[in-house]
Amino acid sequence: METFHLKNIRKTFKNGEVEEEVLKGVNLSLRPGEITALTGASGSGKSTLLTIAAGLQETSEGEISFKGKNLADVKEEKLRKVRAEEFGFIFQSSHLVPFLTVEEQLFMMLEVAGKKKEEEEVTAILSKVGLSHRRKAYPSSLSGGEKQRAAIARSVIHRPSVLFADEPTASLDSKKSEEVMQLLEDMTKERGMATLLVTHETEMLSYADRVVHMEDGKILV
Amino acid sequence: MNMALKEMKKNKTRFLIIGAVVFLISLLTFLLSGLANGLSEDNMASIRNLPEGNFHLTEDAEGSYTRSNLDEATVQSATGQNNYAFSVQMGGLEKSERKYSLAFFNSTSASPFPQPDKGEVVLDSSVKEEGVSVGDTLTHPQTGEELEVTGFADNERFSHSPAAFVNQEEFSSMFRIEDFQVLYTENEKDISGLETFSKSEFLSSIPSYQAEQMTLSMILWFLVLISGMLFAIFFYMMNVQKTGMFGILKAIGVRTRRLFYMMWVQMLTITSLAVLLSGLAGQTAGVLLPEAMPYDLPISTTLALAVVFLVVGFIGSTFSGLRIRQIKPLEAIQQGEG
Repeated sequence: METFHLKNIRKTFKNGEVEEEVLKGVNLSLRPGEITALTGASGSGKSTLLTIAAGLQETSEGEISFKGKNLADVKEEKLRKVRAEEFGFIFQSSHLVPFLTVEEQLFMMLEVAGKKKEEEEVTAILSKVGLSHRRKAYPSSLSGGEKQRAAIARSVIHRPSVLFADEPTASLDSKKSEEVMQLLEDMTKERGMATLLVTHETEMLSYADRVVHMEDGKILV
Repeated sequence: MNMALKEMKKNKTRFLIIGAVVFLISLLTFLLSGLANGLSEDNMASIRNLPEGNFHLTEDAEGSYTRSNLDEATVQSATGQNNYAFSVQMGGLEKSERKYSLAFFNSTSASPFPQPDKGEVVLDSSVKEEGVSVGDTLTHPQTGEELEVTGFADNERFSHSPAAFVNQEEFSSMFRIEDFQVLYTENEKDISGLETFSKSEFLSSIPSYQAEQMTLSMILWFLVLISGMLFAIFFYMMNVQKTGMFGILKAIGVRTRRLFYMMWVQMLTITSLAVLLSGLAGQTAGVLLPEAMPYDLPISTTLALAVVFLVVGFIGSTFSGLRIRQIKPLEAIQQGEG
């Protein structure tokens, strides 16, 4: 069962008089419990596609179908609600809130998603990402790998339907990258999330269920 | 979860600095307000003590009480219960070698101004500290008239001098003025041939009072304005620093409104604490400052200024917070670590 569809997505940027089409009619479906990896050279449009799919920028044309709605037509407040409740985000940098402890990051996310503050759920997920002993630590005292694992915990604590991961291992060494990817794979399977992973690291593709290659704003079949 | 307070707890130094600056500016404002009010009391307490009403001067006086001479018929017909005429002149009395600069008052009624008998004088209580007691005899240097001190009145001052209340006969003899200068009526606004002023208008018409108060008011409101700008600048800089974090929070679904609440809670916490402390310090200053320094900071003024600070802080921070609305989550993500 597919939960998330991108249909004929086009994106054009205007630079003065010059128009540049970055996405040229992209179609893509994400399935629950699957990691779909999006690869391609720099400038191929993969990150743009991810941010459009995640509702972080508008599409010039096309449809983003999710739970019976076209997100491309949804107003900002509703889109924010979808992002808060249904989507999870992992970025290249962890982007943790600097003045919240690891567990507070998770409680905040539950609050933003309108979910109850569940201690047990937080304890379980921190155990899963191996940060039980660091739950009271602030981001400034975490290592790069710990930060990214905390970011993963934050991105899935509210049980989103879709997880967007934009180069989540870009700032990590190979050992930590594999730990993070293993974690992503486990979470995706366990929680039945549809995960869209943007990466340029070929070693990480082994964790994906599907690999989609982009080139010049199009998906190569 | 109160993210605003958590941020303040984590970044104590940053918030302590702005708190200290707000404390100092608000303290300066309170002290200046106390001084302005104290000077105003020192200058015009005897007029400020009068109830709200109408002050009438002759039309040819052009708004200056010193040029006003009420004719006797007008005074006779207009005075009565709660309506009275009075005059004020600057002068002095002597006791042995010591001279006292005084503002002499004379009125048609024993209330609100004391109206002693002939040969008597009632002085502002501040003169007590200069060695004058009830029963002392003071001499008017120009006429040689002797006046016995029969009592003291609290907080009766005019033109930075203690007030001296004398009988009509002595007043006429000392200053060669037969007519009263000012007519006070509680309700009658229109009296033929006289120009009418409210209490604040009358006070403003006294040149020394207006110049003094305008200068101090200008400094005071500039301080309030500076504090508002300080808030705007401080929160603007903080918001610039937090652009990345705000963008990420927006991306994961945090409402912009919540980010504003966060800023407002921080602003209100800082301002409330700083203004509470400076307000207490301002009140304490009233006790600690020497008697010679005119200082009067009523609780009502302290509270009013505290509210002004909160409002100005709110406007300043909100103005700077408009930037939060413009933050695009995507830009924050692309900027890297937020």
